[in-house]
Amino acid sequence: MNQAGQSRWIPYAFALPAIAVMAIGLFYPILETLRLSFYEVRLGEAPSPQAFRGLRLFIEVLSDSAARESMAVTLKFAVVVCALELAIGIGLALLLEGKIPGMSVLRTIFVLPMMIAPVCVGLIWRYMFDTNAGPINAWVSGFGWKPAWLADSSLAFLAVCITDIWQFTPFVFIMALAALQGLDASLVEAARIDGARLWQVIWHIKLPLIMPILMITLLMRLIDALRGLEVVYAMTNGGPGLSTELFPLHIYKSAFVTQRMGHSAALSVCLLAVTTVLSAALLVFNNPLRRGTSS
Amino acid sequence: MTITRRQVLKTTAAAAALSLPLPYYARAQGTGWSKLKGQSIVVNWPSHPHYAVAKKLLPDFTAETGIKVELDEMPYLRLKDAQVLQMGKPKGDYDVCVYVIMWKTEYVQRKFLTELEPMFQNPELAMPNYDRGDIIKGYYEGLGLVGGPRGYLPGPGAKLYGLPYGAECSVLAYRKDILAKHNIAVPKTYDELLAACRTVKQKEPGMGGLASRAQAGHQVTAGWLLHLTPNDGLVIDDKYMPRVADPAAIKATETFKEIIATGPDGGASFDFGQMLNSFLQGQSAMYLDTISVFGPARDPAKSKIVDTVGYALHPKAAKFSGELGGFGMAIPQNSAKKEAAFAFMQWMTSKAQDVKAAAQGGQPMRLSTLDHADVQKVYPVEVYKECLKISNPDWRPIINEWTEISEKVLGVHLSEIITGKADIKTSMTDAAAKIKTICERAGYYKT
Repeated sequence: MNQAGQSRWIPYAFALPAIAVMAIGLFYPILETLRLSFYEVRLGEAPSPQAFRGLRLFIEVLSDSAARESMAVTLKFAVVVCALELAIGIGLALLLEGKIPGMSVLRTIFVLPMMIAPVCVGLIWRYMFDTNAGPINAWVSGFGWKPAWLADSSLAFLAVCITDIWQFTPFVFIMALAALQGLDASLVEAARIDGARLWQVIWHIKLPLIMPILMITLLMRLIDALRGLEVVYAMTNGGPGLSTELFPLHIYKSAFVTQRMGHSAALSVCLLAVTTVLSAALLVFNNPLRRGTSS
Repeated sequence: MTITRRQVLKTTAAAAALSLPLPYYARAQGTGWSKLKGQSIVVNWPSHPHYAVAKKLLPDFTAETGIKVELDEMPYLRLKDAQVLQMGKPKGDYDVCVYVIMWKTEYVQRKFLTELEPMFQNPELAMPNYDRGDIIKGYYEGLGLVGGPRGYLPGPGAKLYGLPYGAECSVLAYRKDILAKHNIAVPKTYDELLAACRTVKQKEPGMGGLASRAQAGHQVTAGWLLHLTPNDGLVIDDKYMPRVADPAAIKATETFKEIIATGPDGGASFDFGQMLNSFLQGQSAMYLDTISVFGPARDPAKSKIVDTVGYALHPKAAKFSGELGGFGMAIPQNSAKKEAAFAFMQWMTSKAQDVKAAAQGGQPMRLSTLDHADVQKVYPVEVYKECLKISNPDWRPIINEWTEISEKVLGVHLSEIITGKADIKTSMTDAAAKIKTICERAGYYKT
């Protein structure tokens, strides 16, 4: 092999350890989950030839009305919380991007909800929404309204959304603020000299420029929203009925309540497929990495 | 040197005091317990009022036997995950597992538990004065026996795999002051119970009639089951055919829905703790669930209604029928310290410890405890004895698939019914079809 041929392979040789670690650490568990999804095994049992079911567990998942309803609830939840978190987070970032005294303290306060363990968040908000003892009803009862938040399908879904928005809007805020503060001030200045109004500066200058960061933020929030488990587990256990049963909770119940590990693996593969398709669609619509390389 | 009368008396008393414990402990322990001294066992048990009391007894166990206890405590519905993972290994970390009654059949079928009869026959391990006949029969059979008729009832083929500890039956607790205020007689029938619920809801501002569990999943099914067998209903019959859409089950579901509608605000999302607190904090006039209310109801730190609670028998619908459930203790098959674990189980459920636990608010497991003067001072023993008579060992079908049926089928459909999202007949017919599919998959209909 000549010198040029050798040098062509050198980068691959250097990358090999990293690829091996990725293959073992990332793909092996996914492949094991895929393998498990072909077997009807209970928790604590190893897959055996007698337990092989082929695609039957996937057919069961796709024909199960509860699984479909849970997926619908999850998608609705993801759309609602991602949209509202982006809107509120970006709005707050635009409001607070200027030089404000004590901003560093404010920023720390804003990110506090993100630091709380999700189970604790679920418990805190379960108490907040308690019909009889919760502070929210203590406030709204002044208007003659005493809603049973977690005992009504629509209100329970709303309560779960509010909780997620409370916890993760600060993440969007921090990302958007960092992006805004990284903008070239001369572009904004030039637009203002040209007579652009505030909303025109925001709409035509700032938002397009921070769009790559916002897309990454949206992608991360979407994936997170599709994986939500602990908060609903602690707040509602998926109820009333299936009104707040996010798909990860459905998977959890299949694995640990009914102990059907193969079935829960099939559900997990379906969720992975949905998450991959949605993420890919988002990247096709607006891929910040591609934009970054082309510019 | 002269010996005074006082010195003689002192010496005699001291000698008696020193010598008493030795023969007492010799009788109270198996002959081989001394060999277990210094061992350490791991016990997996629930966060529950009875076990909070039981925890106080552990230092005495270690002092008397020399066996150390490491506790792994968790919410009771989380126990199964941890236990199945541990008991599925060749060598597990748990030496004693506390299980909920509904898991016993599955655990035995999966060969997770140690049969106890051979250990009771071993004089080195068995407490001579343990007296199994003194344990409340329904609890002993309901929690401990597996392999009999339907797999979980007492009878031919049944073997002992656990001992009841924290076992329960159902009782009606009520606010004497509220019922008296509205001239409501203590309900003896379901018609009277529902009428009382309506009256309280209408006439007592901010208060519900009966507190019930109703959160989606296991809790709502447990709440509904309380009314199923009194209405002569069944979940599945002897041929494993679902009966939840039968008229009796529909009647029970209508009753349950009305109880939630006339109950405290937000009651459709209550778990066990919220239901109990609703009663103890004065938001509900009545409580119909396990006897674990006895302890907290007389504890001023937990209850605002200490002096106003009365107890009565679970009301009658088509017949008298109450819950039989709660917890039992067992030894995993893969425990390396079965002898020490067995000593622990016997000691905790012995006569002396049962009295101590009951006197502090725990749940009595023994007939002799119910007759003990200290326990009678704090426990409504007569009502409890009546409740035990109607407790039903077939209150729910304890088949392997019960958890799936309870949480994923009934736990969803009943939740939708009580929150008004689904019609009773349609939803329960749908639930019956799903239960049939589960039983079919489990192979119950193979000829």
